[in-house]
Amino acid sequence: MDLAFTPEEQKFREEVRAWVRENLPQDIAHKVHNALHLSRDDMQRWARILGKKGWLGYGWPKEFGGPGWTAVQKHLFEEEAALAGAPRIVPFGPVMVAPVIMAFGSPEQQKRFLPGIASGEVWWSQGYSEPGSGSDLASLKTRAERKGDKFIVNGQKTWTTLAQYGDWIFCLVRTSTEGKPQTGISFLLIDMKSPGVTVRPIIMLDGGHEVNEVFFDNVEVPAENLIGEENKGWTYAKHLLSHERTNIADVNRAKRELERLKRIAKGEGVWTDTRFRDEVAKLEVDIVALEMLVLRVLSAEKSGKNPLDIAGLLKIKGSEIQQRYSELMMLAAGPYAIPFIREAMEAGYQGDYVGAAYIAPLAATYFNMRKTTIYGGSNEVQRNIVAQTVLG
Amino acid sequence: MDFNFTEDQDALRDAVRKWVDRSYGFERRQGIVKAGGFDRAAYGELAELGLAGLYVSEQHGGMAMGPVEAMVVLEELGRGIVLEPLGQTLVASGVLGGYAPEALKAQWLPRIAAGEALVVLAHQERKARYRLDACEATATQAGGGWKVSGDKSIVPAGDQADAFLVPAKANGKVGLYLVERSAQGVSTRGYPTIDGSRAAEVSLRDAAATLVSADGMAALEHGIDIGIACTCAEGVGTIDRTMQLTAEYLNTRKQFGVTLATFQALRHRMADMKMQQELARSMSYYASLKLNAPAEERRRAMARAKYQLGVSMRFVGQHSVQLHGGIGVTDEYVGSHYFKKLTQLELVYGDTLHHLGEVSERMQDTAGVFA
Repeated sequence: MDLAFTPEEQKFREEVRAWVRENLPQDIAHKVHNALHLSRDDMQRWARILGKKGWLGYGWPKEFGGPGWTAVQKHLFEEEAALAGAPRIVPFGPVMVAPVIMAFGSPEQQKRFLPGIASGEVWWSQGYSEPGSGSDLASLKTRAERKGDKFIVNGQKTWTTLAQYGDWIFCLVRTSTEGKPQTGISFLLIDMKSPGVTVRPIIMLDGGHEVNEVFFDNVEVPAENLIGEENKGWTYAKHLLSHERTNIADVNRAKRELERLKRIAKGEGVWTDTRFRDEVAKLEVDIVALEMLVLRVLSAEKSGKNPLDIAGLLKIKGSEIQQRYSELMMLAAGPYAIPFIREAMEAGYQGDYVGAAYIAPLAATYFNMRKTTIYGGSNEVQRNIVAQTVLG
Repeated sequence: MDFNFTEDQDALRDAVRKWVDRSYGFERRQGIVKAGGFDRAAYGELAELGLAGLYVSEQHGGMAMGPVEAMVVLEELGRGIVLEPLGQTLVASGVLGGYAPEALKAQWLPRIAAGEALVVLAHQERKARYRLDACEATATQAGGGWKVSGDKSIVPAGDQADAFLVPAKANGKVGLYLVERSAQGVSTRGYPTIDGSRAAEVSLRDAAATLVSADGMAALEHGIDIGIACTCAEGVGTIDRTMQLTAEYLNTRKQFGVTLATFQALRHRMADMKMQQELARSMSYYASLKLNAPAEERRRAMARAKYQLGVSMRFVGQHSVQLHGGIGVTDEYVGSHYFKKLTQLELVYGDTLHHLGEVSERMQDTAGVFA
């Protein structure tokens, strides 16, 4: 047992750190460090910079043009990027659909889709949830009917994150109503510029436009956009979920945000208030414990020994921590968290702030973070999964 | 960064587990509880396995092992809710090995390693609560040696131990002294503790003492930290067995015609307990892996770990009882004794609120496993 990274891993970390420092645009880092609104351009600028370096698909194996990093190297990259104030990589392309295309797509599909994902040129969205299918995703109803060399798609997806920027969307669609719900689902790639695709914004309680409804009205999709076999989509989607491992804990971002919480607490004069400070201390222990949990998973992956079946725990704890730091930031500001001025949450705001600039987005962030225990399989669903590992 | 155990560590775990399974069943344990809570013979069996010399150098007849080996052993002793205070032996041998003059080491460490001498830390004072610097016992120089006076509380196996490591003040500075129980001026009053083991009030009146270290605070803090790492590991073992017992019960006990394990409210509770189990294990690893870090870093790490263990032990203990229902609150059922062990472990070396305060005081701008 050893807590320290190997000298090679340390060296790797330093290389990544130096590169990120050199290449992360300062205006973007400023926004991230202050929870200001990130535009499409901000996210895509960083994606392209990473793409040029070959690091946007940082989890990809070498045969598909990725860096072929180990689990530990991926973690170190995520950590260095997060601490430097890099935006999270929008995961739908490089982290979510790409591994499915690699594992189950045809060579033609791989040649056609992977380069645009790797470079950051093509923006992907995820079409999973539907109005009637949240936690019970397999009940989804969006229909895809085979007509010759096309699928005709009808239905609606919802909670589609950043679909307003999407070029393509990967969807789970129903191609059969026979048998168990899971067996009639297919995995389809759809060009969002196709006639019949409509994106409608959903404005969330923080006032932000982050998610959308996506409607499909007789959308024609070439059959060559089907991944793998018809009615096997559920299997592919599960493979995708297995690719979200330690990064769902988002512990590196939590470490960065804990630092910000401490700065805010000092700025607001509650750092010396024992009652408040103890709450920060609890969060600090939570974050260290979560990091240890993540490191244990990485060690297991690295050595191929003692695999840990604790993805559900990482999701639950990681999301609870995100909610808690955003909550404590808001509480640190106290009454000054009450003003809710959308423009003041943008970089370059020229108006007057109430109290201080860093307070302006705190309440909105708190509201925004409520999603974390709901998405990606709600924490209650995660508890079902965890209980299964203990009780059978 | 590697959290795998070596083959030797796995073998050590197996050896201790076998001893617990074969020789330290619930019946024997409860017999020891009834007989006072400490069994020299059982302690001798641990020493025969070499465990009393785990932290003792080879030169002094020990195994010269490290914190990870100690952790492995204590996890297994926790799993068996073993009463004999091996953790105390690790504290005493760690402190003596790290701080005592050579002659004192040569005098005590071989006997500790052989299980012939039980040496325990006697630091608790009535008004100190968990503050280590609040020490009223005094030491005065007498001839070539020292004499120590003061009252120490809740000393583990205090009326059975052969010697005590005692912090006492001389000229306003805390030193650490070794006092033999047989010395004149030493009296003890033993009693049972929550988990069925044994402790004593130790009264020292001009008792002959040997100086272990003039920098008593450094030695004491280090000793406490060894104790914290041991407690964390013991807690993990106790939690592991508690979880096992609870899962077995939920899968066996039927109400409304089905096993309890079919009820989602109970399954979710179990998931929350599993969370605490794995956070506890993670922080126990962390404690053991930080035990040889520089003092400041070590102290911060131990506070974080003991806080987490305190939260986890209480959560798992209380909810295990609840999930068992009536049987969980009976003396007859083994599970209630795990709950009591978890409760006692929270209260030693600083409880959860105390360590929350420590973490709070020691926070820096950055935080994380490596900060």
